[in-house]
Amino acid sequence: MKTIDFCVNGKNVSVICSPAKTLLDVLREDAGLTGSKECCGKGECGSCTVLLNDVPVCSCLVLAGQVEGERVVTVEGIGTKQAMDPVQQAFVDEGATQCGYCTPGLIVASRAYLTSIGHVPGLDEIKRALGGNLCRCTGYTKILQAVQTAAARQLSSREL
Amino acid sequence: MFVSEIDMLSPRSLKECLFILENEKSSLRLLAGGTDAVVRMKEGKWRPDYWVNLKHVDELRFITIQKDEIQIGPLTTHSEIINSPLLQAHADVLVQACQEIGATQMQNMGTIGGNIATASPAGDTIPALYALGAVIELTSLSGKRMINVEDFFIGPGKTAAQPNEIISKIAFNVRGKNDIGIFQKLGPRKAQSISIVNAAVTLSMKQGTKECTGGRIAFGSVGPTVIRAKKCEAMLTLGPLTDEMIANIGRVAWKEVMPISDIRASASYRRDMASALLERGLYRLLKRWAEHEE
Repeated sequence: MKTIDFCVNGKNVSVICSPAKTLLDVLREDAGLTGSKECCGKGECGSCTVLLNDVPVCSCLVLAGQVEGERVVTVEGIGTKQAMDPVQQAFVDEGATQCGYCTPGLIVASRAYLTSIGHVPGLDEIKRALGGNLCRCTGYTKILQAVQTAAARQLSSREL
Repeated sequence: MFVSEIDMLSPRSLKECLFILENEKSSLRLLAGGTDAVVRMKEGKWRPDYWVNLKHVDELRFITIQKDEIQIGPLTTHSEIINSPLLQAHADVLVQACQEIGATQMQNMGTIGGNIATASPAGDTIPALYALGAVIELTSLSGKRMINVEDFFIGPGKTAAQPNEIISKIAFNVRGKNDIGIFQKLGPRKAQSISIVNAAVTLSMKQGTKECTGGRIAFGSVGPTVIRAKKCEAMLTLGPLTDEMIANIGRVAWKEVMPISDIRASASYRRDMASALLERGLYRLLKRWAEHEE
């Protein structure tokens, strides 16, 4: 057991755990942040996506000992029920969620993608950017719509 | 052994890391991006006493050019390679290979050194490094040695690196303006898949012609290690790359690869696809060359 200090959603946390425990398990069990979900556990589905130093990664393949002193943002840090991020609002408005299991990962990955570009992306661009996030319910159509909607709103709010 | 019993060492410098590798008597495994290592831990295949977490060995993270040589640090991630203007200009084949690895999250986590050290016959960066004629620098406490990338791989998951050594640099010569390269991959689906067959080709073209003065061709996932198709390479310089010549080279590739049947594809399908990928790659390179000449 080791004490691991790192920053989650802007707050410093200190957890005592095995250094080989996955970041995902630390977030869910020790930090009480159950937004990120475990699905495949192998880095193929993206439902555990979090930002590690602003970069989207699969938290199921990051070990606790590797995040000492690092910055992590989970879906809870993207926005809250009271103050939703444009990406979250667009997912709600477009009905881009069904069972909801992939949604936290998709929100985090979409947020990181939209932060990195300054235009409304085409469908192929979004498909490439979100290729690491699998969804078994929606057929993706509404997810793609939601990302475009969020991008358009983000752009118009920047121009205001 | 349980996952909860595994401890972690996080060296802050290469020297400290080498000291651990030399002197620690417990079982160790190096941990770079973790995209492969952590999966193996979960599957129960790798349960070392200690993970050696390389994350803080910052001196192994670089992309530089020294005289005529491009040097890449082993902890450079696939995303960093894709976004490097230097590598986009001088190592198109490697940039393309990294773009074919997994999805965004995996490209952000996985490292080139990890891809090499894992030594999968299907590893995507490896054929590209063969095609670039790369050398790998191994460092231990007793010194450094350089090894050609082709001599580094012994079999699936087996490399020439000793337990006290670590990959400290990947280097290859800067390519001229007549050098072009391409990476082609066939997977079970379009995105983020493991290769059924992949091929990397570099050509040195003769100005104003369809002839080349030399080239390298490497195939992945068609043998126990990535292989260089030297018979195909020898044909590149026999004359202009006409339709007939390209078809002939493809036929030779069919014979030269040595695939097995496995869960992803049969051996005969792999042979067919190896020659198809090579022919397609050559056509695409020639098209690009023609556009460049205009």
